[in-house]
Amino acid sequence: MRKARGAFIALALVVAGAAAFIGGPGSAPAQGGGGTIEAEVKYNGAPVVEKLKVNKDTQKCGTEALIEKIVVGPNKGLANAVVSVVGAKGATTAKAGKPVLDQHGCKFVPHVLAMTPGEIDVKNSDDILHNIHTYSTANPSVNKAQPKFKKVMTEKFDKPEIIKVTCDVHSWMLGWVAVLPHPYFGVTKENGVTKIENVPAGKQKVEVWHETLGKQEKEVEVKAGQTVKVGFEMKK
Amino acid sequence: MRAGVCASGPSAAERACPCSTTSPAPFVAAARSHLRCHARSTSAGTGLAGAGRAPRRHSRRASTGAALGAAVALLASIVVDVAPALAQAGDAAAGQAVYQRKCMGCHGEKGDGKGPAAELLDPKPRDFTSGIYKIRTTSTRMPSDQDLFRVLTEGMPGTSMPPWAVLPERDRWNLIAYIKSFASEKFKEAPKKLELPKEVGASAESIKRGREMFEAIECNKCHGADGRADGPSRPELKDEWGQPIKPANLTKRWTFRGGPSRAAIATRLAAGVLGTPMPAFLDSVEKPDDIWHLANYIASLGPAAPAYGTLLTATAVGEAIPDDPQAELWKKMVGQNIPLMGQVIADPRNFNPSIDLVTVRAAYNDREIAFHLTWDDPTESKPDGKQTFADAIALQFPPTLEPGGERPYVLMGDAAEAVYQLRWDSGKGVSEVTANGPTRVRALAGSEATGKAAYANGQYQVVIKRGLGAQDASRPTFRPAVFTPIAFQAWDGGAGETGTRLSLTSWYYLRLEEPQSKARFVIPPVVALLALGAMLVIVWAANRRGLSVS
Repeated sequence: MRKARGAFIALALVVAGAAAFIGGPGSAPAQGGGGTIEAEVKYNGAPVVEKLKVNKDTQKCGTEALIEKIVVGPNKGLANAVVSVVGAKGATTAKAGKPVLDQHGCKFVPHVLAMTPGEIDVKNSDDILHNIHTYSTANPSVNKAQPKFKKVMTEKFDKPEIIKVTCDVHSWMLGWVAVLPHPYFGVTKENGVTKIENVPAGKQKVEVWHETLGKQEKEVEVKAGQTVKVGFEMKK
Repeated sequence: MRAGVCASGPSAAERACPCSTTSPAPFVAAARSHLRCHARSTSAGTGLAGAGRAPRRHSRRASTGAALGAAVALLASIVVDVAPALAQAGDAAAGQAVYQRKCMGCHGEKGDGKGPAAELLDPKPRDFTSGIYKIRTTSTRMPSDQDLFRVLTEGMPGTSMPPWAVLPERDRWNLIAYIKSFASEKFKEAPKKLELPKEVGASAESIKRGREMFEAIECNKCHGADGRADGPSRPELKDEWGQPIKPANLTKRWTFRGGPSRAAIATRLAAGVLGTPMPAFLDSVEKPDDIWHLANYIASLGPAAPAYGTLLTATAVGEAIPDDPQAELWKKMVGQNIPLMGQVIADPRNFNPSIDLVTVRAAYNDREIAFHLTWDDPTESKPDGKQTFADAIALQFPPTLEPGGERPYVLMGDAAEAVYQLRWDSGKGVSEVTANGPTRVRALAGSEATGKAAYANGQYQVVIKRGLGAQDASRPTFRPAVFTPIAFQAWDGGAGETGTRLSLTSWYYLRLEEPQSKARFVIPPVVALLALGAMLVIVWAANRRGLSVS
């Protein structure tokens, strides 16, 4: 216990020092004085959606499953991309409430979920058997059955990483959980846009991750109380 | 008996792996190595919850003490063979030498499961670098040392992993130390023992509840409604490495990777089977006891061991023999289980056959003979001639029976000697063929063979019938009390089996039991009465003579 407290204090000192260093002279601390990043992610190609004939649970899953590998909106906006500030530090309780990953209509909803380290509720809204099977490396991977009567299971992802989630009963089910070490992230909607608020002012690296299109990184200058726009064009 | 099939080993590994060079060590040698290992037992173990103490070194106080010590060591070595071994700290460097001799062929030099034999094996050999192990009795991700020791010693049924009890115990502990070194980071975390709910015995009530739970948690999705591995998710299942993986056939407990006992089943259910789609159910049943009810139900689906038959008997019946595989006659008869193996003699070979067992019933009357065959096949194939072929089964006989004569070559005969086959093919029905080898199979004209098939929940039941007498020299005549050679071949068309990609047996014998006449009810009582009469006469005569003398 004492040891743990000591380690925590040491860590806090290191973090404080690092924050001071990154912030540099003249830049305001994150609290209250942050700015907003509005990221727009585009993809110039065609959407990629694989179709699979369903041979079971059709009353819940439908007769055709869609595996949405690349979802593109009307303005070439790329959905399901995780935008985050690289190397940012901040309170991990900033996002309110426990994140919820639902299994609904034999799909993971949302398809891509971003969260800070901690607990997550895994819901089964389908009234049929699912199993939550994670392919994680930093966190212990889990493969737990979630029969129809087990409506909610709580799992814990303590370490930052992007985790693939599948269900072996319904092989087309695929989801992603991005565990990030700070609250400065967003997941793009169909228009390809997401906003990250209260980002510490100063030069920041913004990263986009997409399950099939990989990663891209850009640098932006965040100013307190202002919105800075950044655009990404993802390529195969 | 099976020499003709070239299948003395349990699996493809035995044929393909360098490990096949190991012959079971004589008991004496094994016992000696036990003694040696116990005499050398030194360091503390690394296993679970204090079980990790090596047997204590015997002090050398006096010669009597030494003798006593030797006796204790001998006793210990016997006990160790029976009870689970206590974990011992192995020597990874010594383990490496054993690994290179015995394990590398399949598991690879780097422990990544990519040895030269790996491509022929299904399931694939374990990739030790992943630190993912199927069989564990822990609630944490890593298995205990005892878990590894047990799998190493007993092997993994239904896979190419043979039991390595032939290796000295010390070698096995050294191997475990070496195997762990491939994922040493992951093994740093101390394993925690899985706490199962309190055991519930296998009562009818428990089995009933188990069945309800089986349905509620939808085990059928993968394992099928009757547990025959034919669930709708079967074709989609992949392991952690993206390789297709089959669900367990719950009616064949002897193929369970972690053993057939109820405790083993409960443990797999509770903890899941890592690296496979099988999830953990410990917190996903309605009540904790349900784990045991489920285990009891699953254990009730089939025997722990298959009890293979040796001699097939055709029962004489006085009535007409029904075509219907579900008829009462067949239900009354006890089937003989005959094991099948992959055909690995002629190309293309079948290293991982789908059908491993056929249950045979046979009956005959004064006109015809009928065979009732039952086997598991996860898919009822609709042949498309490309990837899916007809499901099929064949009964093979020599066309003529010469007493003491040599039987034809078991794989469909050869150029010199033909075989006769009674076949059933899905979509086609029953036919008679003659073959001079797998590439020279011809249908026989004027077939009088008939039959009927039924498929339900991952199982075929087929009746094949034929007249007792032969129409010509290509066909055998079936006679009572004659030992007729018989062999079986089977194809799972849904698994791509066709032609020489098949499962087969070597020659067995079929005997038509002699018809039992009514005379057996008459002759013995008549003989008994005559004997009694004779005795009475003798006694009467003796008494008379005795009287006259006195």
